[in-house]
Amino acid sequence: MKESARPNGALDRALDAALERTLTPPPLPARFRTKLEAALVRAGGSSLLEARTRLEREQRERLAELERDYVRLRRRTLGTMIGGAFAAGAAAAYALPWVTASLGPIGPLAIASAGAAVGITIGVYSWLATRAQSAAGARG
Amino acid sequence: MQAAVVDAAGRDSDIAELLRAGHRDRAFALLLERYEGKIFRLCCVLLRDRAQAEDAAQESLVRVWKALDAYDGRASLSSWIYAITRNRCLTALERRRTMDSLSDSEIEAQVASLVARQPEPADERAGELRELIDLLPERQQRTLLLYYFEERSTGEVATMLGCPEGTVKTHLFRARAALAGELRRRGLDDPGLWLEASP
Repeated sequence: MKESARPNGALDRALDAALERTLTPPPLPARFRTKLEAALVRAGGSSLLEARTRLEREQRERLAELERDYVRLRRRTLGTMIGGAFAAGAAAAYALPWVTASLGPIGPLAIASAGAAVGITIGVYSWLATRAQSAAGARG
Repeated sequence: MQAAVVDAAGRDSDIAELLRAGHRDRAFALLLERYEGKIFRLCCVLLRDRAQAEDAAQESLVRVWKALDAYDGRASLSSWIYAITRNRCLTALERRRTMDSLSDSEIEAQVASLVARQPEPADERAGELRELIDLLPERQQRTLLLYYFEERSTGEVATMLGCPEGTVKTHLFRARAALAGELRRRGLDDPGLWLEASP
């Protein structure tokens, strides 16, 4: 026998709506959690102090792991910057005669100025974004 | 019930993961967040007494906490929790059956509370409906109550009662048919009457 959980017919639908209004789930009694915690302590399953200590230890471990990740990231960034600077220096030394020949004596200065402008723009944008983020964090 | 068990297993994979990693406290906190309401509602439906349901729900959760290390993942976590809850409720029902008869003062107190609970005209219709539900066979009552408490999820009701989903659908169908039949017999089968009704 195949029977549907869904009602059909006008009376069935009306009855379904009335049942939904009438059979509302009973809310958890007040202080259910508090009583449960007391019952757990009584049962010797766990003392709240023990549970809190364990959770604090786990949190400390997670924070230490995050700190290690952060230091690793900073080292990698520093390495990339130093490597990038040397690579840029080598490229400039290599390309300088060609730039001077192609763009004249002002060429190297123009390229350096353009690079500086791009760098300053990125720096200012990043600074403004960080400030806006801090202000939003302080408001929230 | 198979689909519901698979859904529940997916839903509780985070708890199972925490248990495997040895984070019993966090797993229990998550389990509590997810199941305390459901456990209490199942106890309410099985015992039909709020105070006893609260006690049974508390006892069930303490038992779950104690047995959490022994949970081997063979059954879905929800099936396991509901089985523990049903067992606690059965114990409570046994205890109730063997209880001494009520004293005179207790009978007087119960009568007073019944008098105090006379329905207001506004919830008369809801009262009639509850009265009709009370006439249904026990299994149909349980299924009907849980179905509406658990947002019409037949799968969840099947897991809670520990029976196949098809059985839940059958009980629902028969309960509704019985209610509609009784409404017709009492001349209350005008749909408008029930669409306007409020608890």
